[in-house]
Amino acid sequence: MWSSKRRDDEVPQRPATTPTASNPATEPLRREFNTMPTPTKSFDSDLSPVRNGSAALGKNVTIKGQIFAREDLTIDGEMEGTIECQDHRLTIGPNARVQATLKAREIIIQGSIQGNVEASDKIDIRREAKLVGDIKTSRIVIEDGAYFKGSIDISKAAPPPKVTPPPQSQPAIVTTAPASPPVIPLAVTAGPVK
Amino acid sequence: MKFGKAAAGDPSKPSGKDAPLGFQRHSSGFDQFCSALQTPEGGMSVLDMSGASQANIVFLTGFGHRVSSDDIIGAMQQSFADNFHENQQSASNAQRFLDQALAFPDDSFDGILVWDALQFLSPPLLNQVVAQFLRIMRPKGVMLAFFSSSEKTTALPVYTYRIADRKTLSLIPRAGEQRIQYYYNRFLEKLFEDASSLKFFLTRDHLREVLVRK
Repeated sequence: MWSSKRRDDEVPQRPATTPTASNPATEPLRREFNTMPTPTKSFDSDLSPVRNGSAALGKNVTIKGQIFAREDLTIDGEMEGTIECQDHRLTIGPNARVQATLKAREIIIQGSIQGNVEASDKIDIRREAKLVGDIKTSRIVIEDGAYFKGSIDISKAAPPPKVTPPPQSQPAIVTTAPASPPVIPLAVTAGPVK
Repeated sequence: MKFGKAAAGDPSKPSGKDAPLGFQRHSSGFDQFCSALQTPEGGMSVLDMSGASQANIVFLTGFGHRVSSDDIIGAMQQSFADNFHENQQSASNAQRFLDQALAFPDDSFDGILVWDALQFLSPPLLNQVVAQFLRIMRPKGVMLAFFSSSEKTTALPVYTYRIADRKTLSLIPRAGEQRIQYYYNRFLEKLFEDASSLKFFLTRDHLREVLVRK
């Protein structure tokens, strides 16, 4: 039986009708209320964007235009235009067909690209990839079997400038001269010299 | 036929459980090719016709060079298909091949690695291809091409060339064999007559390595 005290202890947003543990009519409602909704699975598990903190365009998505991303991005559909993913990873999925200029920190290529590709850190061309275009990057990994036609410009990333720490302010060294001993006047008595 | 330390038995088969597929061979021609392109600051432009590979890209870019990759054997197979040699005689097939494989501007490259692809071509296409290579080479540029030196050999496995080091190449067999043309030295001198110099390196594995300088 529910007591008023117990009712007060319940979650504030309770339905108007007072539910009872034994009332089957309200049981489903309570369960539905208390249960977290099941997230709808709208992406392939490999591309699970929300959980991994990245965005993804599925294989049935076609985009013409420019994409600017401030997080990791996976494209598995068709794209025509430019893609910029500065300081993040761009993945071109196995089903992707891209006619675009790509720029990112790191680029992983599994699909088909026609266009120039620039990565400040690394480009990874997988076995099933097909890339026609010029590459500019610091590092490149290309698997056997990948098709690539174009030029490769390896630009070594400039080493970070050496930061010399500012000279630490040294505590002042104060030397003090020892205090001169107090002068004690001597008593002088004059008398005849013997 | 001896191919060096890693090889044993049939060169088209792997030599050991852990050995990479294919075999290795010493190449004086490639060593000379590297010397010709050696500059303190790098910055040369090299065309590698064996298809893009990690080994070749890392080696060539290690010198500071810019590398362009294409697969000329793949382009040949696409353009000429099953009737490989007969289809080369067709002007339209030949033009399609030239447009696909050699559509580069004039004076694009300081170095070109053709490897052994030219021995699978026959005139007049061979002459057209060589003319195109010389067109896209910069003045004083160099090109390295391999030709069989055995008159009796009529077909060879098709290989992909990977650079192991400056003096060593790894040959990875591709599917199938292909008929080759044997060319006398005199023919090759005439073929490259527009070049400023030719250097031949004869090898023990019945190959002539030809270093062509524009």
